[in-house]
Amino acid sequence: MNDTSALPRVRRQRSDRAGLRFWRRGWRATGVLLLYAVLIGAGIFFLFPVAWMAGTSLKTIEEVGQAQLSIFPETPQWTNYTKQLAEKNFYRAYGNSLYTVLIVLLGTVSSLVVVAFAFSRLRWPGRDLVFGLMLGTLMLPAQATLVPQYVLFFELGWLRTFNPITLPGFFAGGAALVFLLRQFMLTLPRELDESALIDGANPLQLLWLIILPLSRPAVATVTVFLFVGQWNNLVQPLLYLQKAELFTMPIYVAQKNNLQESPIPWQDIMTASVLFVIPVLVVFILTQRYFTEGIALTGSKG
Amino acid sequence: MDLAVAARLNNLYWSLGTVAFIVLGSYLVGRLAMSISAARGAGLLQRRRVFWGYALVSPWLLGFVIFVLGPALLSFYYSFTDYKLGRSMEWIGLDNYRSLLAGAGAYGRRFVQAMYNSAYYAIVGVPLQIATALLMAILVAQPLRGMAFFRLVFYVPVILAGGPAILLAWRYMLASNGGFINVTLKRFAELFPPFDWLYRSFIFVVESFNAFFIGVSRADPVGPLMYTMPALLGLGVCLALYFTASEATRRTFARTVVEIVGTIFLVLLVVRAITGGSFVPRLLGRLGTLFDLMTQRSSLRAATDLDYLTTGYAAQAPSALWLLAVLVGVAAIIGYVRGASRQRWLLGGVGALFGLLAIGATMDGVRYFAAYDTVAAATDAANHHFALFRQVVAQFPDANRVPLWLSSELWSKPSLVLITMWSSGAGMLIFLAALKGVPRSLYEAASVDGATGWQRFKNITMPMISPAMFYNVVIGLIAALQTFEAVYIIQNTQTEQSIASAAYFLFVRTFRQLEIAQGAAASWILAVLIVLLTVAQFRYSRWVHYE
Repeated sequence: MNDTSALPRVRRQRSDRAGLRFWRRGWRATGVLLLYAVLIGAGIFFLFPVAWMAGTSLKTIEEVGQAQLSIFPETPQWTNYTKQLAEKNFYRAYGNSLYTVLIVLLGTVSSLVVVAFAFSRLRWPGRDLVFGLMLGTLMLPAQATLVPQYVLFFELGWLRTFNPITLPGFFAGGAALVFLLRQFMLTLPRELDESALIDGANPLQLLWLIILPLSRPAVATVTVFLFVGQWNNLVQPLLYLQKAELFTMPIYVAQKNNLQESPIPWQDIMTASVLFVIPVLVVFILTQRYFTEGIALTGSKG
Repeated sequence: MDLAVAARLNNLYWSLGTVAFIVLGSYLVGRLAMSISAARGAGLLQRRRVFWGYALVSPWLLGFVIFVLGPALLSFYYSFTDYKLGRSMEWIGLDNYRSLLAGAGAYGRRFVQAMYNSAYYAIVGVPLQIATALLMAILVAQPLRGMAFFRLVFYVPVILAGGPAILLAWRYMLASNGGFINVTLKRFAELFPPFDWLYRSFIFVVESFNAFFIGVSRADPVGPLMYTMPALLGLGVCLALYFTASEATRRTFARTVVEIVGTIFLVLLVVRAITGGSFVPRLLGRLGTLFDLMTQRSSLRAATDLDYLTTGYAAQAPSALWLLAVLVGVAAIIGYVRGASRQRWLLGGVGALFGLLAIGATMDGVRYFAAYDTVAAATDAANHHFALFRQVVAQFPDANRVPLWLSSELWSKPSLVLITMWSSGAGMLIFLAALKGVPRSLYEAASVDGATGWQRFKNITMPMISPAMFYNVVIGLIAALQTFEAVYIIQNTQTEQSIASAAYFLFVRTFRQLEIAQGAAASWILAVLIVLLTVAQFRYSRWVHYE
């Protein structure tokens, strides 16, 4: 405590002593301006594709076919959106996406919480071994199991159903997320458990009544991560759905890419893309605090 | 009823069934664990603990067995068979691994190329991505107003980059003819001529580098493990040895080098054992290829081997044998002149033999080059691995050239790297958290001591954020080797081969062509590679500074 309160005084003294305050301020101001210029430039680089997507979605097919220079449409073509929304395959895909994401969130988050609780708040022989095993699966590339999983689902007759996409999540899918939740639950004070257990609660009651309410921020973080990952998920749906009626939004959008039309109707593709991206963006803007904290939490014990 | 609705309902039933399965399974696992611990004579409290611990962790345990362990073992088994979906399989031993590692056949060749592309994403993409992330983090960590907003903006790409929508937008922007980026570059060049030089130089640098990389991957007929990697490694070792100064570091360094080189040779040995043939002659053959590459005549030898009888090149091209004969001959003669008397007769004999060999080989080489006519030279130049590189380097881009982005094999990989750089915000957040954790007192102390900004960064910031750096490197490398979505969206028929990552190869082989067995073998090669790389990074993480 002592040295932090001493710091500002030291700094003030030195700048007084140095004199030439005017020049120093001038340099600082230039530096700050330059910094903002760089930041704004970088911001344009990072946001431009999104803006480009939005701009293109409002153009006509003639504009899209020309050499591209302006991000803005000559006159915004809102009919692109009404046309897109009227398409049956589109809202079916949207519904499929919403449905699968909802089921995955429900199943995965609840199982993640239980497993993370067992890893962080309960003491049982073999815990560290099992935990190490789980961390080991982080290293195993997804591709190593993709092929036989496909065979498994094929044998189960689950191709062309939603089961391969939603059900594996119910088994606490995602070791990284278990890790994140566990890290958070470890920070809660131990006395809570002891007093609850003395009162005769069983571990499930402890989890439901005490740990879960306290872990709400971490659960929210895990939920938004899962949401974004699942909404964008392309590989599994691509492998297993195989039927236009079952397509989720990522495949619906990716399929538009394969149209052999010329000129390519980019305005249609981008309209679907904008509609696809909106939920993720909204969720992100509303919950951005959780992203920042969640990533810091996974990285801190690298 | 609509098909989608029916499928959703069906899935809902299955979901309820899965929940019931998990609850019941967890209970049973818990009971099982409890009875095992009871059999071991555990007390009541201990048994209770065992029950709850195993019961509550079993959702993961069951999932691990069903979706990870079982499939992993199964895929290991498949990799030794010729399994195709819905067909009976036969045990074929190491054939899948053999054809992939040796780059045999069209698909082995593609696998090798995909491995090279993945290496490109790891070697070129990951450092650029990390540098971008670090730069962003340093900018955003400045104590100024509005940084929360910029942090938000820089992170937006991360949540979008996983999905196809934004990748399509990139594809549209990167269209080489009429795409936004190229049109803008051209317009800038018209308005401001020096910009034209700038970006043509950029084109030149990028194209030369990529042409060289393509040359390296083409010059390697047996796969990345056979000669390029050892060569690059050897180069790295030499440079590192040259630049390491003190005695103590050199000694620990020497041990590290021995370990790494030993591991690599072990891996090579295994690979050679799988792909057939003995290791040492092939290694000599590689040296020969290296030598031929240096003299730029490697494909000529292959041509003359075929045309030996018809066109009558009555000579052998200088190869590893020539080099060997000359070296041994010279060494033996020197040994004879300067050596001890006991080995003189041996050295003399060897010297005479290899001297004669060297003379013969050299004369043959001279005749060979005399017969090296213009036709052969032309085919040689066209077929050469580095033909593209020579072509690119020979001509500086014309005044109206634009980068070809997604329509050229020279630009497809840089395009992908550009997109990964664009989405490096997750790394930024990790760096940012680390930067915030650096105690201010360290900087204060350093500036009292008169340290410059760069010194402070190098000696305080870098060591303090090295755990974050380590984490980003490990995660980044794994992600680079598994790149899939971006490749899937932005590839097209012209660039598919030059952009395909290992994961993409796997996908195409398994799920498009249904060659499950070869896909499984490829996935295991990739898995072993990732595990080896990750273990190596943890093993050599002494540069990471933990408090």
